[in-house]
Amino acid sequence: MSRTWLAVLAAVVVLPMAVRHAIATEIWIFAIFGLGLNLLLGYTGLLSFGQSTFFGAAAYVAGYLLKHSAINVFLALAIGIAVGAVSAALVGYLCVQRSGLYFIMLTFALNQMFYFIAYQWTTVTGGEDGMPGIGRPALLAVDFRNPLAYYVFVAALFLLSLWIMKRIVESPLGKILQAIRENDVRAEAVGYDVPRFKLLAFVIGGAFSGLAGVLYAMLFGIVPLEAIGFVFSGNVVFATLIGGSGSLYGPIIGSFVFIWLSESVSVVWERWPLLLGVAFVIVVLFFRGGCVEAWARFWSWRERRRAPAGIAP
Amino acid sequence: MLYALMGLGLSLITGVLNIPNFAHGALFAVGAYFLFSAIHAVGNFWLALVLAPVGVALLGLVIEYAGIRPLYAAGHDYQLLFTFGLSLILGEGIIVVWGPIGFSQLPPSILRGGLDLGFIFYPKYRLFVMVMAGLLVLATWLFLEKTRYGAIMRAGIENKEMVSLLGIDVHRLFTAAFALGAYLAGIAGALTAPIRGLSPSMGVDMLGIAFVVVALGGLGNLLGAIAAGLIIGVAQAVVALYWTEASVAVIFAVMAAILLVRPQGLFGIR
Amino acid sequence: MSDLNRRDVLKLGAIGAAGAVAGLGFPAVIRAQAKEVVMLGIWPFTGAFSDVGPILDRGMKMALEERGMKILGRPIKYITRDSATQAGASTRRVEEAVDGEGAKFVIGPWSSGVALAVSEVAKRKKVLHYFSGGTEDISGARCHRYSFQWAASPYTAAKTVVDTFMKANPRAKRWHLLVADYAFGWSVEKYIKEVGKTHGLEFVGADRHPLGEREFSNYVTKAAGNKPDVVAMINFGLDAVTAAREIFNFGLTPKLPLIMSWSSGVEELVQLTPEIRENIWVGSNFYYTADTPVAKEFVKSYQAKFGGPPGYAPSAAYGMTRMLLHGFDRAKSVEVQDVVKGLEGIEVNDLVGRMRVDAKTHQTLRPFFFMRCKPKSAMKNPMDFADIIATGDTPLPAQYAACKDIGSF
Repeated sequence: MSRTWLAVLAAVVVLPMAVRHAIATEIWIFAIFGLGLNLLLGYTGLLSFGQSTFFGAAAYVAGYLLKHSAINVFLALAIGIAVGAVSAALVGYLCVQRSGLYFIMLTFALNQMFYFIAYQWTTVTGGEDGMPGIGRPALLAVDFRNPLAYYVFVAALFLLSLWIMKRIVESPLGKILQAIRENDVRAEAVGYDVPRFKLLAFVIGGAFSGLAGVLYAMLFGIVPLEAIGFVFSGNVVFATLIGGSGSLYGPIIGSFVFIWLSESVSVVWERWPLLLGVAFVIVVLFFRGGCVEAWARFWSWRERRRAPAGIAP
Repeated sequence: MLYALMGLGLSLITGVLNIPNFAHGALFAVGAYFLFSAIHAVGNFWLALVLAPVGVALLGLVIEYAGIRPLYAAGHDYQLLFTFGLSLILGEGIIVVWGPIGFSQLPPSILRGGLDLGFIFYPKYRLFVMVMAGLLVLATWLFLEKTRYGAIMRAGIENKEMVSLLGIDVHRLFTAAFALGAYLAGIAGALTAPIRGLSPSMGVDMLGIAFVVVALGGLGNLLGAIAAGLIIGVAQAVVALYWTEASVAVIFAVMAAILLVRPQGLFGIR
Repeated sequence: MSDLNRRDVLKLGAIGAAGAVAGLGFPAVIRAQAKEVVMLGIWPFTGAFSDVGPILDRGMKMALEERGMKILGRPIKYITRDSATQAGASTRRVEEAVDGEGAKFVIGPWSSGVALAVSEVAKRKKVLHYFSGGTEDISGARCHRYSFQWAASPYTAAKTVVDTFMKANPRAKRWHLLVADYAFGWSVEKYIKEVGKTHGLEFVGADRHPLGEREFSNYVTKAAGNKPDVVAMINFGLDAVTAAREIFNFGLTPKLPLIMSWSSGVEELVQLTPEIRENIWVGSNFYYTADTPVAKEFVKSYQAKFGGPPGYAPSAAYGMTRMLLHGFDRAKSVEVQDVVKGLEGIEVNDLVGRMRVDAKTHQTLRPFFFMRCKPKSAMKNPMDFADIIATGDTPLPAQYAACKDIGSF
C-alpha cells in the first residue's frame, strides 16, 4: 500500500474526530462527485458544466423509491448509479459530437432543462420544496440512522470509488482518454472512435455522480431542488479546479477546501458569494493548477531557497 | 427581439474571443441598474438610455483588459471559472450598491399606456422596445457586414491567425468585440428595466436563455443568433397562450429537439 | 502535474486534514449551561432571500429583548444560523445547532420549502419549531407535534379577501385568477372559488404560471381578453411584483382593480411605484397600521430603532417569538414537550389581535388583513402605501383539514 493511500486513510479516520459527522460525510460524498467530474475534466479534457443533472436525477429517482417502497440500501445505490449513467448517456449523446465552448454551453443548457423539469413537476419532486422524508434503511442490523455508522459506510464507498477510479485512469481506457485530451485529432487518426470513448467517460462520470447523489439524499433525508441546479454544477467544477484537475487526488482536496469555504466564510460576511467570486478570480489569475500545483510550487520554491546562492532565480 | 439582442452579443463574444462568457447575464443586469441610476442622475430617460450601455461597454473594456486577456492561453475551464466568478462579483456587487430589494422604473411619460391594435391591446413601451431592438440588431448587422471594422471582426471569428498575419492587432480586436458584446447586453438590460423592473437576480434569469440562443444559432453565427432569438421568443409566446405552465421549459425543449435533428445548431457550420 | 510525487501528496493530505481541523472544527460540543434556554433563529442571510434575513433577525431579537432575554427566570441564549434558502444547508445547520449548541426552540426560516425540511429536523430531533409562511403542510398534510404555523390558513385569507372585496365592489362578478403553480397557490385558488360561489362569482379564467416567471405579457393579454371585472393574483414576492407591473403596463390597472391575495405587504409594495399601486387591493398577514396595542407599541419602537415601519418579515418573526414565549408562560416550564402543550389551545391578545393555537392542527387562528392602496395624492409619506379596510379570522372548516392526526411526541 502506497503512502498516498495511507494519507487518504488517515484523513478518513481523523476527519470525523475533527468535524461533525454530517460534514465529514458530505466531504466524501462531494469527493465522489468530484472524482466523476475529474474523469471528464482532468483526464478527457471535457468541461461538463451540467454534472448536477446526473447527481440530481439519481437522487430524485432513488429518493422516490426509498420513500415509497421499502428497497434496501444497495438496491437504492445501484438504481442511483444506473440513473446517473443513463442520464449521462442521454446528455452525453447530444453533447459529445460538439467540442469546446459548444460542449460547455450544451451541458449547461441541458442541465437547465432538467432543472426546470424538477422545478415544475411538483407532484413528484416537490418542486421548490424539495423531496423530503427519505430514510436510511438498515443493512444487516446496522442502523444507518446513527451518523457514525453512515459516515463509515460513505467513507468505505468513497475509498472503493477512489480505488475503482484509480484502476480506470491507469487502465488502457484511461490512457486513451488522456490521449483524447492531449489531441483528439491524433487519437482519431490512430484509429480510436473518439466520440464513443467520450461517451463512455461521460457514462462513467455520470455513474459516480449518481452514487454521490443517492448518498447525499440519504444523508440529509431530502432532495433539495438545488441538487439539480447549475450552481451545484459550478461548485463541483470549482472544487475540482481548486484542488487541481490534473491529479487523481485533486477533487478530494478541492472538496475539503470548498466545503470548508462554504461553511466558514458564510458566517463572516452575509455577502460571501462576493468573496467566493473573488476567490475564483484569484485562483484563475494566480493559482492555475489549484492546490496541488500551488503546493508543489511552494515546495520547489523552498527547495530553491535552501539551495546555495547563485541558483536562485 | 430582446433575446436576439442578448444572443447576438454573446455570440459575438464567444465567436471572436472563444471564451464561455458566464458573466453575460450579469452585464445585462448591470445595464438595467446603470439606467436606473443614470435616470436619477441626469433626470432624462433618453440620455440615460444612451449613457447606461456605454457604461457597460466601458466595464467590458476593463474586464477584458485586466481579466480575460491573461486567460486566452489557459483552458476553457479557467475562463469559465473566471467569468462565473465575475458574474458572482457583479451580482453581489449590485446588491451591495443598490440593495437587495428590487425597483420599478416607469417608461418615459410619452411611452406610457397602450395602443389598441383592434385584436389586442399592447403597451406603447413594448412596441418601442421591439422597434428599438430591431433597429439595434440591424445596425449591428450592418456594422459587421458593411464596415471595415465589422469585416475584421467577422474575419476574427473565421480565422484568427490570418487576421494577425494581416498585421491587425488581435488583442485590440478582442477588446473591441468584448466591449461591443457588453454594450449589446447592457442596452438589452436597460431596455428591459421598465418592463420587468430591476432585481439582482434578473441577470441569471436571462443567462440561460442567451446560451440557448447561441447554441441554437450556431457558435459565432451572428445571423443564426438573431433568427434563434426570434424563434425562441415566438415559441415562448405561442406556448404561453395555450399551455402556460410550460413556457419556461419550452425554451429548452425546443433547443433539445432542434439539436437532435441538427446537432450543429440551426445555422451552425462547425 | 505529473512531476508531483507521492510524498507531496502525502504532505498535502496532512495539511488538508490539519486545515479542516482548524477551520471546520466547531467548538468541541459547547454544552449549554443547564439553566440556559437556547433559541435558534434560522434565517436566510445569504442566497435568494438574503435581504430579509437581517430584518427577520431584528424582529426575533426585539421580542426577546422585551423580556430582558429571560424566560421563567432563566436566561435565553439566542443564536442564529444561515438557512441560505437551501434545504440541505438548513437541515445540516439546524442539526448542528441542536446537537452542538443545545438549541431546543427553532423559529424560521423564510421560504416554505426550506421550512418543511426544518420541520422534518424538528420532528426527528424533538425540538419545537415555529414558522410563518405560505405552505399549508406544516399545519396540514405534514403536521406533527413539534411544528407550529403562524401565518393565517389560506382559507382564512381567501374568505377575508373575497368577502371584503365583494362588499366594496358588489358588481365585480367576473374574476380572472393568476395563480403561482405550486401546492399553496392551488389551495388558495380552491378556497377563493369555494367562497366565490356564495357571492355568485363567475371565474372567467384561471391561469397558472411557473414560480420564478419573469415574462407575464402573455398572461396579461390572455387576462385582458377575458374581459374580467377584476384580476386576482395568488402569488408572492418577485413574481407578484413583476406581474403587477406588467398588468399596469398593459393598461389593465388602474381601470380594473387588481387583488394581491397573499402578499407580504410592505416588502412587495415598496418595489412598485405609486402609479402602479393605484387600485391594487392587498391581502396580507400583517400591515404596520394594525390597530392593536401590541402592534402599535411594536411599530413605534421599531420605527424609533430602524427609522422605517416594519414589513411583514420582522413582524412575523416578532409575533412568532412572542407566541412562543406565551407558550412558556402557560406551561410554566422550559421543557420542549411542556411548551408544546402550553401552546396547544392557548388564547391571547397579541400582535394582530385575538390569537389562538388549534391543538388539533397547530395552526395559529388569527385575523388576516385586507388593504387598499392609496393614490399618490393621499400618501402622507413614501411608506404610506395603503389603508386596512378589513380583517377576517374565519378558520379553515373541518372538512378541508388535511391534518387528521397530529400524533404524539
